[in-house]
Amino acid sequence: MTRFAWLQSRTQTLIAAALLATVAVAAAITGVQLSHLYSSLVAHCSSGCDLAIGQFLSHDTFMQQALEILARAVPVLLGIFWGAPLLAREFESGTYRLAWTQGVTRPRWLLTKLAVGGLATLTVAGVLTLTITWWYRAHDKLGTTAYAVFDRRDIAPVAYALFAFASGALIGAIARRTVPAMAATLGVFVFARVAMSAWIRPHLLTPIHETLSLQGAGPDAPVHLGLGFSNGGPLRVFAQGDGPPNSWALSSHLIDGAGHQVSSGQMAAFFHQHCPNVNLQPPPSPTGPGMVRGTAAGPGRACLAQVAETFRVLVTYQPANRYWTFQWLETGIFVALALAAVGACYWWVTRRTN
Amino acid sequence: MTAAVETSALGKRYGRRWALTDCTLSVPRGRVVGLVGPNGAGKSTLMHLAVGLLRPSAGTISVLGGDPGSGSAQLARVGFLAQDSPTYARLTVGQHLQMGQWLNLTWDSDFAASRIDQLGLDLNQRAGTLSGGQRAQLALTLAVAKRPELLMLDEPVAALDPLARREFLQTLMEVVAVRGVSVVLSSHLIADLERVCDYLVVLVAGQVALIGEVDELLACHHRLTGSRRDPLRIPANQLVIEESHAEKQSTLLVRTQDPILDPSWAVSSVTLDDLVLAYMRQARDAAAKSPECGLVVAR
Repeated sequence: MTRFAWLQSRTQTLIAAALLATVAVAAAITGVQLSHLYSSLVAHCSSGCDLAIGQFLSHDTFMQQALEILARAVPVLLGIFWGAPLLAREFESGTYRLAWTQGVTRPRWLLTKLAVGGLATLTVAGVLTLTITWWYRAHDKLGTTAYAVFDRRDIAPVAYALFAFASGALIGAIARRTVPAMAATLGVFVFARVAMSAWIRPHLLTPIHETLSLQGAGPDAPVHLGLGFSNGGPLRVFAQGDGPPNSWALSSHLIDGAGHQVSSGQMAAFFHQHCPNVNLQPPPSPTGPGMVRGTAAGPGRACLAQVAETFRVLVTYQPANRYWTFQWLETGIFVALALAAVGACYWWVTRRTN
Repeated sequence: MTAAVETSALGKRYGRRWALTDCTLSVPRGRVVGLVGPNGAGKSTLMHLAVGLLRPSAGTISVLGGDPGSGSAQLARVGFLAQDSPTYARLTVGQHLQMGQWLNLTWDSDFAASRIDQLGLDLNQRAGTLSGGQRAQLALTLAVAKRPELLMLDEPVAALDPLARREFLQTLMEVVAVRGVSVVLSSHLIADLERVCDYLVVLVAGQVALIGEVDELLACHHRLTGSRRDPLRIPANQLVIEESHAEKQSTLLVRTQDPILDPSWAVSSVTLDDLVLAYMRQARDAAAKSPECGLVVAR
């Protein structure tokens, strides 16, 4: 059965392998150039490093964009074009009646197909992600935080691909039609990824809370402070804390001396008391958010100093050293989801499809 | 010897709809059995139950004495040609034979190769580009080359033109003669089966309306034509299957093992076509008259 499953998937696997080889060769050639560029521009720079880094980061933007798109798209494409048709096409064209009446039992037929397709998915996604992670190694070192590219590097994308393939196969077995199964696979994948990154991942590990003083806020400091208007509302304080370098900032709130988040009423009272000379309503003409910079002279500056003295900022973040824990957690969760889909698929095909 | 197919109170439900209810029949081995019935009679469902593609919702079915869903040993004993002869459109003829060899322990590659050769099929041609007749022949070759004891064919010629139909049945008869395999084939057209079947099962709304050897069935049915008379006065050993009365004349289709003695009847033989249609009508009328007796009218 393995040979037949390979025969059925051979063409698409070889096409994918050829495309992958093209990408890998392009990445290898440009990646080596990047290495030279890095050592000549950035590695030994002593002065004007920002300029050198900027020059390095803006090099070969085509390749950068192409690889980022591939890193995002390939897992779900594998689910759509390999996972969804795997069983849906057999049902749609009626060939399951041919396959299931040969000498191979249905469980073996199913598991072999899933194994061969799953292995191809693992290989393609693995090689691609490895290539991309390698190509971006210098960029990622210079970038703000590794968490920003979390879902396009290292091992998590491989788990996404496995999940996309397995869920596509399950959806195909249930839908029994290829095109609707492909569309549903896309929907399920996008939902799972959004749900994971927006609602689940931030809470997988208890984040660290840190209270930062607003004294000494500035462009290069870990806290930023300003006064301004947003969307025509009254004057408010913009305070933002970053957390340590390379960490993943989840939220940042202005808090009062008791540690409570500052409400808008509290803020208005504060302005009345401490900033009598500051205009509390937005200027009429320019629409949209306007900022009164903390560096501005006059009443705004005095007001900000008062703000910095009274309030602090509470930063919630995941530290940089948890990156690999998050990678493994993400991988584990999506691999578990993929296995659950395989189990459901097995049940559906051997028990329900009768 | 166990029956080729034996069912007892067999039923199959899809959701809330019963496709087959309370079907009890026994089909002997060593025959070419025609399974005839109108569309929706449950022929395909019965076929799929017999090859393990479906599991019964009620009752039991045994094929060659085994459970159709019991595993690879049972799968090897039964060859199946599904309706519309499904093949993998993107695989070539040769790759289909390769599939047969890989997926069947008892594969006869010499037979398959010589069969394809005789049919004049190109091993490198994709199955998707074959004509309907060629595809059916390829599917038949696959089903036979696994050396089954029983070959089940679901509406094998329904989609074929008359010439391809004749060629397909010709191939089938050659295979049966050479291999000694038992065959069950279904059709909603008796004309397709008349030439090849020696045993007949008429299925109407999941119920057996008529079953038996073709020769015996033809021998014990007679068409009687004579002056009009009351059907109640027919002798008790003659079972009236169908009757029609004109002003002065009555025509009856009767079943009897005994000779027709009444000289006022003109006795003629019946064709298989007449016979099947008469039983189908009878079963349909019975179902319409008494819907509470467990029959489901074909939908």
